Amino acid sequence: MTTALATTGNKTPQAGADLLRIVRINEEIKSVVNVAFKINIMALNAIFLAKRAGTAARGFGVLSNELRVFSQELRDCMASLTGLVYGCVGEVSRMLQDIRYTRLLRQAVAMSPVAQLSAVLAAREIENERHAESLGRQRKQLKMALEDAFRMVELGGVLAKSAKIEAAYGQSFAVPLAQVSGEFDGIVEEIRVSLESLRRSAFFAGK
Amino acid sequence: MKKTKTIFQEGNHKWIAIVRDPAKPNYLIDTNEYLVTHDGKGLLLDPGGAEIFPAVFSALSSEFDPTALVGIFASHQDPDICSSLALWLEFNPAMRCHVSWLWSGFIPHFGGSADTFVCLPDEGGDIPLDGLMLRAVPAHYLHSSGNFNLYDKVAKVMFSGDIGAALLPPGEDGLFVENFDRHIRHAEGFHKRWMGSNEAKRRWCERVSQMEIDMLCPQHGAIYQGGDVQRFINWFDELQVGVVND
Repeated sequence: MTTALATTGNKTPQAGADLLRIVRINEEIKSVVNVAFKINIMALNAIFLAKRAGTAARGFGVLSNELRVFSQELRDCMASLTGLVYGCVGEVSRMLQDIRYTRLLRQAVAMSPVAQLSAVLAAREIENERHAESLGRQRKQLKMALEDAFRMVELGGVLAKSAKIEAAYGQSFAVPLAQVSGEFDGIVEEIRVSLESLRRSAFFAGK
Repeated sequence: MKKTKTIFQEGNHKWIAIVRDPAKPNYLIDTNEYLVTHDGKGLLLDPGGAEIFPAVFSALSSEFDPTALVGIFASHQDPDICSSLALWLEFNPAMRCHVSWLWSGFIPHFGGSADTFVCLPDEGGDIPLDGLMLRAVPAHYLHSSGNFNLYDKVAKVMFSGDIGAALLPPGEDGLFVENFDRHIRHAEGFHKRWMGSNEAKRRWCERVSQMEIDMLCPQHGAIYQGGDVQRFINWFDELQVGVVND
């Protein structure tokens, strides 16, 4: 028995659940993109602040620059994740349609063993397999891209923590610099937690 | 599975009604599909919704080689009319779908490609079926704004889509109208609500009164035959439509 024949019935809730999961992943990615934009603005302010603080905050300034670059790279990374998510949404939607058509064709074949209809069903099953394989590939790509994003955010966390240390050398600017670096650290941690939850999504448990 | 009933036959020219599936879930409105065959080729009229495709396909294939279907006639755009289109096209991508030009951009949402659709102008037109000429008769606003009936002048059979439709209770769901007065009670509410224009209705009644019709075949309910055809036209002509109690 081919895959679609064997699994059409129980694949529907699986595909429906996958669609819900991928939509949730997309929503989470959108919130990370918003936060990444906030880091960019904060980093810009931190650069100005470091300039005002002069040589005492030179290290902080360098780190603020790095954080600004990080925020841009994170946004690019999220944009590519969004593209992959859209691909997965499209593929899961196609699979939902496949499942419905396959179910109806199966019923028709069971009720009327017309040879040509069996051939149509077989072709439909091959198409279903192709969509399932394509979703599998996109799911893997998304997982890898998510891992890349996670590693990037861990690096951002290191930058934010280093900025906190540098802030301590900021002399009279130490307090405002510490406040800014604390905010950086908090936001990067927020993104890390978001990405961590995405990595654990049951969507990636599928084949 | 749906039942098939040959309602007209003359040589290799047939009208087959595909009706009444006892296994159909009650939440789906019951529909009648009709197959016109001529010289081994077939045209399927209002093939029905996707959910009933298996029942229609199996019934049809018990009577006719489905590979010989050359086209579909869609009276209008509703899901119970032709949401199965993609499945029929999956079986035979070369099939053509004859439909009002008004819906030619809408029905492709059910399936099909640019090559699938043959657009009918508002005034209607001929649809050839392997030597038999069928006629798409305008029935706009009854109930859809782009709506056609299909007339076979040889068989004197008119497929009337939603015109003449009745929502029949169990026990009164025979294929043919047997007692007009009792039957028409099940059609009245349907026509008052679903038919939108008294003017369009009057024009349709005038038009079809001049045609020779032995059987008037709606997409829901029972077939009118003999004197009941004119009886229905007269009843419809008198009925005030476009009525809703809101």
